[in-house]
Amino acid sequence: MSLDLFKLVLQLTVILALCRVVGSLFRKFGQPRVVGEMFAGILLGPSLLGWILPGVSAYLFPPASLGFLNALAQIGVVVFMFLVGLGINPKELKNHGHAAVLTSHVSITMPFVLAAFLALYLYPKLSDDSVAFTSFALFMGSAMSVTAFPVLARILIERGLLRSRLGTVAIASAAVDDVTGWCILAYIVVLTRSAHSGTSIWITIGGIVVFALIMIYGVQRLLGGMETSYQKWGGLSENRLALMLLLVFGAALCTEWLGLHLLFGAFMMGAILPKEPKFVQYVLDRFETVTVTLLLPLFFAFTGLRTNIALVKGSEMWMYCGLIVLVATVGKLGGSTLASWLTGMPIREAAGLGTLMNTRGLMELVILDIGLDIKVISPALFSMMVIMALVTTFMATPLLEWFCPDRILRETMPIVPAQDPAVRALSTSADRISA
Amino acid sequence: MGACFFRIRNCGADFSFNAKHSPQIEGPMSHNNRNFILSYILLVGLPIAGLVGVLKSGRKLTAPVSVDGLWHLQVDSDRLAALPCGKALAESPDTALAISQSGKNFTLTLPNGPKSTASGALDGTALQASIAPSADWSAQSGCGNGRELSLIATVDTKADPRTLTGRLSINNCPSCDAVEIRAVRQTPPARKAAH
Repeated sequence: MSLDLFKLVLQLTVILALCRVVGSLFRKFGQPRVVGEMFAGILLGPSLLGWILPGVSAYLFPPASLGFLNALAQIGVVVFMFLVGLGINPKELKNHGHAAVLTSHVSITMPFVLAAFLALYLYPKLSDDSVAFTSFALFMGSAMSVTAFPVLARILIERGLLRSRLGTVAIASAAVDDVTGWCILAYIVVLTRSAHSGTSIWITIGGIVVFALIMIYGVQRLLGGMETSYQKWGGLSENRLALMLLLVFGAALCTEWLGLHLLFGAFMMGAILPKEPKFVQYVLDRFETVTVTLLLPLFFAFTGLRTNIALVKGSEMWMYCGLIVLVATVGKLGGSTLASWLTGMPIREAAGLGTLMNTRGLMELVILDIGLDIKVISPALFSMMVIMALVTTFMATPLLEWFCPDRILRETMPIVPAQDPAVRALSTSADRISA
Repeated sequence: MGACFFRIRNCGADFSFNAKHSPQIEGPMSHNNRNFILSYILLVGLPIAGLVGVLKSGRKLTAPVSVDGLWHLQVDSDRLAALPCGKALAESPDTALAISQSGKNFTLTLPNGPKSTASGALDGTALQASIAPSADWSAQSGCGNGRELSLIATVDTKADPRTLTGRLSINNCPSCDAVEIRAVRQTPPARKAAH
């Protein structure tokens, strides 16, 4: 497989142009740009371009060229997961009372369990005997219980809700969801991969525990030194930034080598980075622009190229797709709403929180790509789940407006007096990722 | 217990959203904490118990036979070349079938062969697919309009790697003899996880 540089640059040009145009169009309709970019990826794939202009599609995206595109996209997702981890402050998660804990945990368990029930129905229809039911059901559960942290934050910023009670609880719950979801996914990946490697699962798990301890008690101190240096000099030297990037890639390589996935190491590196807001902001400034404007659209395009809506053919398949969207929405939106309402939140605000938690966006695509790579889900199910991710993300803004119109928000929703450092850092991050 | 659960909002519980931090503990276990634990058990613990049940009962389910992957095709190339549409296929240097499976349905491509669109379905271990040659392939091999190749085969699930044995024939051509084929899976899916 030789590198056709002309073809690669042509692909980048087309992808970036289409993502910007479609993203801007979606912004005009009140949707976050990231939703438009996800949609643009689908347009470039076999679902539209490959269907109406197969010759153009074959010229632009010949199968032999996709390896390079995928490599660039995956590097982008590795850095993006580092930035997502950076937005999560484990200490802040403790400060949100029992109600938020209950809400976040219910928002995971409800969709997870409903997805497992749905798996009983879908497994004989959309899977095959090379996939164990346990892996299939657990994957469906983790894919349905994820929340798109950056998109959620963007919606909160646009509605001026980031500092509201609703906003802070939503951010905390989404963070808990993401951490839990990634832990469950890690378990599934370990299960699946260890069955085929000669290594015992216990050696893999032991390796992961050792890795986590080294990260928390060793690497975190090193990163603490970087923060000190930032405080002293008001910035980091190029050498230190390069070292940080090396640590991200090193952690990613470790988790991949241990039988997990590159993304887990990158996410963990972000999560253990010191959370002083100015320092977080500084790191985001250095890494975000290229990742968000150049590399993430490649990931959307690559996902779109793997999504073939034509595989969802016939009324039966569309019924499965509808069921997936329904179960995902009832579990996530319904579960979060119920838990927050039962614990004292007014019903409209609770429904608003449920709507925000139901936003899956980019995080869902990342998880689905892993599922397709390890072949826990079939191409048709992958396409259905991508549709579900798009629908649930797309519905968030209008539903939130419906449940929590501005008038009611202003009258009833208390504002948290001081922003959490994590939220403050996240607000800028999300602003760039989604804007 | 149940009544209080459904009236958590009026049960005197103060683990509400108004409390930014955890409620103060009064005595060994406060009323608030008791309500929290109760609702946590009902809303989180019970569903998890349900999940365990689902995972156990799901192990009894059977899914369609896996045919996903790349299959190396073994076929008498002289007989294949004699078939209308078969010439281009017989001339392929290393004939292979790439199957992408979604449950009982699958799509099929010929990675080293002429362009085509193909899809099929599984019924137990029986596999049936029709391969529609592209316009170029049709013109090259003199297939004629609307002619398709039909693949009917059986999957041997006991063989390791799995094999397909069956026949390749041409639709709407009673005078054309079907060609026996055998295919061996080259890339078994790397996914069967522990239970």
